[in-house]
Amino acid sequence: MNTKKKLSESILDKISIDFLRNQVLKNAYGNDDTVIAALDPRILIVWYLFLGLVPWFVDNLWFLMGCFLLVLATTVMARVAGLVLLIFAVGVFTQTGYLLVVSLLFGGNASTVIPLLILTLKVATCSLASVTVFSGLDPDKLSNGLMWYGCPERLSFSISYAYRVLPLLMEEFQNILLSFRMRGNPPVHENFTGKIKYLIYQIKVIMHAFYPLMLNTAKRSRTTVEALEIKGYRYAAVNREVRKMKLSTLRVTYNDMLFLAVSVLWVSVFVLASTLV
Amino acid sequence: MEIAKNQTATQSQKLMVFVLTMALYGLATLFTELIPSFQAGVVEFSVEYFLFIPLTLAMLFDPISAALGAATGELVFSEIMLGQFGGLGELEKFLTVTIGVYIAGRMVRNPKNRKMVGIAAITGTGLQLFMGMVVDILKVQFAVEDFEAVPGLPESVYATEGFAFLNDLLFSGILFCLLPTMYLVPKLYGKIEPLLGMRPRDENTGLGGINGKVIAGCIAGFAVAVCAELLATSGMSIIDWEADWAESGTALAIGLVAAAVLAIAVIFILKSKSGRSQA
Repeated sequence: MNTKKKLSESILDKISIDFLRNQVLKNAYGNDDTVIAALDPRILIVWYLFLGLVPWFVDNLWFLMGCFLLVLATTVMARVAGLVLLIFAVGVFTQTGYLLVVSLLFGGNASTVIPLLILTLKVATCSLASVTVFSGLDPDKLSNGLMWYGCPERLSFSISYAYRVLPLLMEEFQNILLSFRMRGNPPVHENFTGKIKYLIYQIKVIMHAFYPLMLNTAKRSRTTVEALEIKGYRYAAVNREVRKMKLSTLRVTYNDMLFLAVSVLWVSVFVLASTLV
Repeated sequence: MEIAKNQTATQSQKLMVFVLTMALYGLATLFTELIPSFQAGVVEFSVEYFLFIPLTLAMLFDPISAALGAATGELVFSEIMLGQFGGLGELEKFLTVTIGVYIAGRMVRNPKNRKMVGIAAITGTGLQLFMGMVVDILKVQFAVEDFEAVPGLPESVYATEGFAFLNDLLFSGILFCLLPTMYLVPKLYGKIEPLLGMRPRDENTGLGGINGKVIAGCIAGFAVAVCAELLATSGMSIIDWEADWAESGTALAIGLVAAAVLAIAVIFILKSKSGRSQA
């Protein structure tokens, strides 16, 4: 009983807002010095398009396995934050793992397993490829890369803005929650009904906290947009000259080529193996 | 003042609404992605749904900006920032969220009318969940080969998806969408609009109810969503890989390996050369 309590306490300790903020920030800005982060975003996006799309259309187990091992290696190289990997694992399970359990309940057998295994491998490969690209890259580089391919300016603005505003928003939300806690009077939560009341109270506080948060964010977004407009944002967004200046820092180096070539070699070795076997 | 007559906000005000919804809903979806859900018996208690934020804002401001902002926020904060980006499949979520929020926003003409706000909130949520369910069922149907042949699979998919839909609608829908929206909309009405330099929405300045054009647009959007999702999942061989390999598989693969090795060698030589010339 005692250890159980301790375990739940230590888990709850870990999932504080501070911890979440640190993990997200670490994921975004913490690994600029990895091999993946140094690559050109355009090359990585092409690489991602291949590994994110092609596995969906192929049912060859060898090929899927090769792709999966490749993205596994790049994920390790990108030094992705632990929390993201945990979410990935949970996500894969909820997408296909539970189907397996349920179909066994409905009288499935071993023949159910193989199609689902292939499906799981596909899901895992695509998500790991996206984990590599989207959390291995610096957000600014990523948005520049997307812009080069002609993604709407809105999207690349949103990405850069999101990373910058998120720490502020999280802090503000936490402050509001803390002030609610200071002034509030939570119900006693020793027994079971008290615990349920306490849970409802907590949810209510979170909902109420959005009221001041919405007003504050409205003020902030007005300031943001006004600051953007002073610099002529809406005109600059569609202007070719400006776009060229923004993207002039992108450069494809030999390292990028090498990365692509090694990836191709790896996958084609597996293709070769699949034809030989 | 002709402009004040109907609620056509200026472009920068639309951008403000977009940024506001994106930041808030993004933050909320980030939490939901991180907070684990817990189960009590068969009912899943997840804080899955913070859809009340875009719903509230869509009822108070320009619906289409709020809807697009919400979808973008979810995409950027919870998918791209956490590296959960699912490629083409994300288009489905993007479109369904946009449609759900937009419809709910269009339905409300007077935000002070609590009953209408409630109806719109639950309609928007239900619409989004229902579209998600349809797409999910189709997805599994196409992704798994011989769907009908796998014993137990079709029933299990219908059962789990249908149950998840009802569960989400009754639990998350009422607790996290209906009640907060009904609480927030009247409370924020008249207070938040001046912060963005706008006039509150009322009977005269509303965009008008839902007409055929809106419905047609939404159906078209949903069709695109379904197509994107199926394209992303299905075994349709747009790229005819299997056939290629079957005919001249080994030779092609050997060629690929050789080309890749050659490319690596050439790049290494070029790299060492350029390094020397720079030094």
